[in-house]
Amino acid sequence: MKDELIAIVTKLFDEGRIHHFLGYKKGTLKFKTTPLIALNREDLQGLWVEDFFASNLALYLKEIKGKVGLLVKGCDSRSLVSLIKEGQVKREDLYVVGIPCPGQIDPGKVAEAADCEREELEEISRRGPEVLIQVNGQEKTFPKTRVLLDKCLDCQYPQPLIFDSLLPGEYAAPVPKTNPPEDDLHKKPVPERWAVWAEQFRRCIRCYACRNVCPACFCPRCIVEENMPQWVSPLPTVGDNFVFHLMRLMHVAGTCTSCGECQRVCPMGIPLMKLNDKMADDLRELFDFVAGVDLDKPLPFRTYRQEDADDFIK
Amino acid sequence: MEAKPGVEKKEKDWEPRILAFLCRWCSYAGADLTGSSRISYPPNIRILRVPCSGRVNPLFILKTLRSGIDGVLVSGCHPGDCHYTAGNYNARRKFAILSRLLEYVGIDPRRVQFSWVSASEGDKFAKVVSTVVAEVKALGPNELFRLAPADQTAPEPVSPQR
Repeated sequence: MKDELIAIVTKLFDEGRIHHFLGYKKGTLKFKTTPLIALNREDLQGLWVEDFFASNLALYLKEIKGKVGLLVKGCDSRSLVSLIKEGQVKREDLYVVGIPCPGQIDPGKVAEAADCEREELEEISRRGPEVLIQVNGQEKTFPKTRVLLDKCLDCQYPQPLIFDSLLPGEYAAPVPKTNPPEDDLHKKPVPERWAVWAEQFRRCIRCYACRNVCPACFCPRCIVEENMPQWVSPLPTVGDNFVFHLMRLMHVAGTCTSCGECQRVCPMGIPLMKLNDKMADDLRELFDFVAGVDLDKPLPFRTYRQEDADDFIK
Repeated sequence: MEAKPGVEKKEKDWEPRILAFLCRWCSYAGADLTGSSRISYPPNIRILRVPCSGRVNPLFILKTLRSGIDGVLVSGCHPGDCHYTAGNYNARRKFAILSRLLEYVGIDPRRVQFSWVSASEGDKFAKVVSTVVAEVKALGPNELFRLAPADQTAPEPVSPQR
């Protein structure tokens, strides 16, 4: 697959169709990749296409200007659709190469399943619906469903929605469609939910990793850094974290494609995707809108219908 | 020990403070009519005039809650009556999402309320304010961000990710 990718991208560089290519290279940590920003064909040797490309490369489009080629998984392509709709990138400036994704393995989940530390894992490989691991000289197997990222368990867009070429491979959903685990928060009465969320917001250290990794967060100046007026204090208190997280959600409403990067990078393990999923459900229910799927449908807050729900208004 | 009766008295006399964002063209004029028609309503609301209900950024509502105010009321023109044609339609979409999110994280929807009041509905404005004040009063003070004992200790430094 790597040779095919290099052939495609080399041709693009030679024809001058792109100035940069965004791919993955091997990370310094085991089972991790980091983004590779190739400026010319020589840089392409570092490309890595084997496995562990969990990150969403659409993020870097806000910083790299000009004509860009990039690798996308099915889910990442929705971010591209969102960014095109938001006017952040132009479709004609992009050359999109789709990569088949068998579902991204979460090394944290593997370590948990094998009951060891992440550093002790020696080898992770795939065999059909199973994942093989080597730990402390022993071999263990786990079903895929146990060690894939949460978002992969409910994968609905295994094939990129927009692309210029596809790398060979199978573009099927990594696991048959499963219903996402039910959110027990809905069963709780409203006042009890706050205790749950206050506990989560209390743990937030406001490192802003969730904001920085989000392809949908592209304000040149974030409200949390504004100090005239200061909307949010930089101190990580429950109240300010509440304002920050809810405001972030409102800002990415309609652009957030539930790619799950915010939760994946959160050093405190705050279940941010619960909030994003809740918002995505509401947008679908109220406005029949699914983010990053349809290039022609207007964003939910840029349009309205006279018959929109107003049962909550006195 | 002497302070105790004072505290009790304070709690008994507690009155909610409610911030009302009123649209300049309808609801603010409606509130004005309430006054000039000599209709009385609870004095618990503090009115903030905004150009349009569409001007009310969800951030205003979040910040208001965070600052410890007990309730928020946002009021604008009836659908179809917006001075800017569609400001209230756009606002309605934002508020629909925001109020559901607030409910999801555990903030009672009665703390953040929305209404349409036109410039000729002085009596409706009085009714809306009375209802909102009564509901917020029943909920009690906004203590969402009051520091719990656990909040004063540093959060667990150990990352839950392995």
